[in-house]
Amino acid sequence: MSRIVMTAAVALGLALSAGGAAQAADTKQVFDFYCAQCHGEKGDGKGINVTKDFATDPRDFTNTTDMAKRSDDDIRGVIKDGGPSISKSPLMPPWGATLTAAEVDGLLVYIRKMCNCKGK
Amino acid sequence: MKLLAVTVSIGAAMLVMATAPSYAAGGDAIFKKSCASCHYTDGPAKEKTIADQLAKKGPELWYAGSKFQKAWLGAWLQDPKPIRPLKYNSLTDKNKGDHPKSSAGDAAALTDYLMGLTSPEVKAGVIKPAATPQAKQIFNKKMPCGGCHATEKGGGLSGPSLVGAAKRLNPDWVYAYLANIKHFKPVRDMPDFGSVLNPKDLEAVAAYVATFE
Repeated sequence: MSRIVMTAAVALGLALSAGGAAQAADTKQVFDFYCAQCHGEKGDGKGINVTKDFATDPRDFTNTTDMAKRSDDDIRGVIKDGGPSISKSPLMPPWGATLTAAEVDGLLVYIRKMCNCKGK
Repeated sequence: MKLLAVTVSIGAAMLVMATAPSYAAGGDAIFKKSCASCHYTDGPAKEKTIADQLAKKGPELWYAGSKFQKAWLGAWLQDPKPIRPLKYNSLTDKNKGDHPKSSAGDAAALTDYLMGLTSPEVKAGVIKPAATPQAKQIFNKKMPCGGCHATEKGGGLSGPSLVGAAKRLNPDWVYAYLANIKHFKPVRDMPDFGSVLNPKDLEAVAAYVATFE
């Protein structure tokens, strides 16, 4: 009996980790498609659109100190409603009608990994 | 004898009509042979996922007749200068400007074919070019389009350039695209502004884009 439970637990664990990996891959695709154009594929704020004409520096998600000041709600909100929702630049547009809530949550996790930080 | 001559000439005329393809059909055939490997023309939009969009080699053209201006399209096909600074679907590679050139005859036939591909979402004759303060404020400040789109003043690189939009794009299509972007491109790296700006603001922006030289 305990063997069955063990096997089931291992199988469940494998299924969950496979699901997690698939989700991470999907989130990378979402980030690269929507966010990297300004924030850069590495999240360092050096996307292709950041030319001399770009009026502000896109957020550098690898800046741990800076990103730790942002709450999870701030990050979700700014993705959905744009920069002005947290008194930042309108160059960050609102993606709320484009991304699903799950995609926004996925991006939050992805960005937190980039900064290696938690929200305040 | 006279009757025979008339019959023969009518017969010959009918034969010519039956064998010679119409102009539009010619464009269709040229498109299938030369363009269909990169562009699709059978709408509505097919893309459901990011992977679907990334698999495309060039923009969808199923609403080309609503999007473009005929004179511009005919000239561009003969001398296709880059519209996007970057290669389609790339954020790293420059647009090499290697779109195939068409002869004047092929360009005319292709233009006739493409201009016949329209979307009922686009209402004709509504948007007139106008650079209003309201539109400038939205375009430059409230929702800065230049972050991704180049204008004469410069701008971003990920979106198609809007330089020359006055001659290239149908202003009614620009409005319809802004108002209902999912109809045209369900998966794209441009936000849905139809959900955050009211129709009057969208009309103003479309009218402003229609002034871009």
